[in-house]
Amino acid sequence: MAIDPAGPVGHTVQVPPATTPPRSADAALVACVGADPVTFGPVYDALAPVAYGVSVGVLRDPDHAAEVTQEVMVEVWQTAARFDPARASARTWVATLARRRAVDRVRAEQARRDRDQRDLDASTATPVHDVVAEDVERRLEGAAVRRCLDSLTATQREAVVEAYYGGRTYREVAERLGAALPTVKSRIRDGLGRLRDCLGVARA
Amino acid sequence: MPDDDTTRDAWDLLPAYALDAVDDLERRAVERLLESDPDARRALDEYLDVVAAFAVEQEPPAHVRDAVLARVARTPQAAARGTTTGVSATPAARPRRRWGLVAAAAAAVVAVAVPTTIAVQEHRETVRLEAQADRVAQMLADPDARLVTSPVEGGGEATALVSGDDVLVSAEGMPAPGEGHDWQLWVVADGAPVSAGLMPAASGGVSRALVEGGAGHVVAVTLEPAGGSDQPTTDPVVAIES
Repeated sequence: MAIDPAGPVGHTVQVPPATTPPRSADAALVACVGADPVTFGPVYDALAPVAYGVSVGVLRDPDHAAEVTQEVMVEVWQTAARFDPARASARTWVATLARRRAVDRVRAEQARRDRDQRDLDASTATPVHDVVAEDVERRLEGAAVRRCLDSLTATQREAVVEAYYGGRTYREVAERLGAALPTVKSRIRDGLGRLRDCLGVARA
Repeated sequence: MPDDDTTRDAWDLLPAYALDAVDDLERRAVERLLESDPDARRALDEYLDVVAAFAVEQEPPAHVRDAVLARVARTPQAAARGTTTGVSATPAARPRRRWGLVAAAAAAVVAVAVPTTIAVQEHRETVRLEAQADRVAQMLADPDARLVTSPVEGGGEATALVSGDDVLVSAEGMPAPGEGHDWQLWVVADGAPVSAGLMPAASGGVSRALVEGGAGHVVAVTLEPAGGSDQPTTDPVVAIES
């Protein structure tokens, strides 16, 4: 039976809504430098979904993600002059800022739990930020990187996903996976390298 | 601890750096590479694009927009580069790097009880230290430095190492500021508090910050909304007469 191209098909590819072309976000961000705060409205509308999406992905808690989004978007306004469109898209710039703050939160929370946990029986200790495979699948739904993750080996994928969603350093990833440090470092390096090639983000 | 060849391996660490999956010493090694090598910069930009490709855009709750635009309306923008006064105007990456340097240089402070016996460990990093970390090393080596200690309300202890015009604040065992908050430092001169930036996140239970020009004044810490405030909004948990 022929597939109706206009109808729904089994494996619908979810494409991010093209409400704002990426380059117009760049232009809006550049335009708000030294301008009236009112010019930040379009910047917020174009980029806050990136900050929130990243924060939800890493933190999972919508309230925490909303707080991080607020911090990030104020930072975007404050430091807009440092955005360099020759180096990155506004989307990448905001995603980077958001991930850094979200990861800082994960680590602060982990440190707090570690402290609290010291008084308790060590056997009851549970890691707060376990990365569960099915959960990752769900979180990646609609992400540009998803189709490319299949080009990674299982161990590369595991290391990259642990580092990304667990907010862990590669040392912590190595401890967690019971793998040697250089091994995990290579997996992350080779994994991101493959993703880079698959995504075609190379700057020629 | 970092390997001796951390700097040489900095290229190898670029992907982990893009994922924020390196420790402080490695971060510094990578950032030194990035400052001197445009090819590394370009490679990092590609990895950052890869990391950003994990993002799935999602509309934040409507109240966030109102809150952000309200804060934007009363928040000045930072200059492209160079001198910034408030910590709030400094992007996240920079204080981290700065405090990382400070923390490495300041590590000796907890090991000493008497200031005159302070010995600075010769650290490879100090060779390339920025002015601020140089200052910390000087302070640690200063035989005339004074130590002032005070308990922190709510738990922990704060120590001020006073040398010349500057104060190195170490807070040990302080509770985390909690979600959406930061500990912020103030220099109170003639009753007027001036922000001296945020306390960096504690590492190993100790958080340290250099307060330049703080000597002879009261150095205080308050709990503030994340990112800090222009003026204190709560009472200090500790105030040290330096």
